[in-house]
Amino acid sequence: MPQMIFVNLPITDVKRSRKFYEALGYKINEQFSDETTACVVVSETIYFMILEQERFKSFLTGPLGDPAKATSAIMALSQDSRAEVDAFAATALAHGGTEVKDATDLGFMYNRSICDPDGNLFEPFWMDPAAVAG
Amino acid sequence: MPRMIFLTLPVADIARSRAFYTALGFTINETFSSESSACVVVSDTIFFMLATFEGFRSFSVKPLVLPSEGATSLVALSCDSRAEVDAMTEAAIAAGGRSLHDPEDLGFMYSRAFEDPDGNGFGPMWMDPASAG
Repeated sequence: MPQMIFVNLPITDVKRSRKFYEALGYKINEQFSDETTACVVVSETIYFMILEQERFKSFLTGPLGDPAKATSAIMALSQDSRAEVDAFAATALAHGGTEVKDATDLGFMYNRSICDPDGNLFEPFWMDPAAVAG
Repeated sequence: MPRMIFLTLPVADIARSRAFYTALGFTINETFSSESSACVVVSDTIFFMLATFEGFRSFSVKPLVLPSEGATSLVALSCDSRAEVDAMTEAAIAAGGRSLHDPEDLGFMYSRAFEDPDGNGFGPMWMDPASAG
């Protein structure tokens, strides 16, 4: 079976976050969702488990951070084109997301920095396949 | 092209972290690594970008919070069997990681929890494919 990753992220309002992530075009796996969590399906190998803070805390042995104030992880997600990167950003901004800095354009790579409504930081990016192939 | 995720995580010492993640069985993509970063290849769609604190700060306009002082993410990784969950966790402990709590065994699902040397949290897990239907 291909390796799967479930990135667990703290949120404050699962209803609000469901709308945000659905607006980005992702589906919710209801089997792994409940009143305080939702399983966002990014691809067949990539998932975000969004959890309201109290629930998130139950999985931590240390203190919970507040993504609105500080960052301990950045999720970069590949896109198939620059246009897709911009579409991701535009959709996020239209649904309560924020852009935290200017786009980075290195020619062979293009990315933007977008936070969800709780401040979790995403970097949709496109990289020229020719550059990856090295 | 299948969707890929590059999860950037802060680490204090790239050399120490390279040793830790390679001990877990992952390889390093040297093309995307430098003195201040290392690209850990988990699969053809999943990567961890380890970044020094200074490097990490350059990617985020918000302050860095050390995962040990205020975690804003936890990473669960699927494994093909209970034995693989245990093997990854034992390898992590042997390489300088720390087990966080006892195994959780729900019958159809089995998971453990460990931190890397910087406190980044991981939960290797196995789930009975029959239960996912």
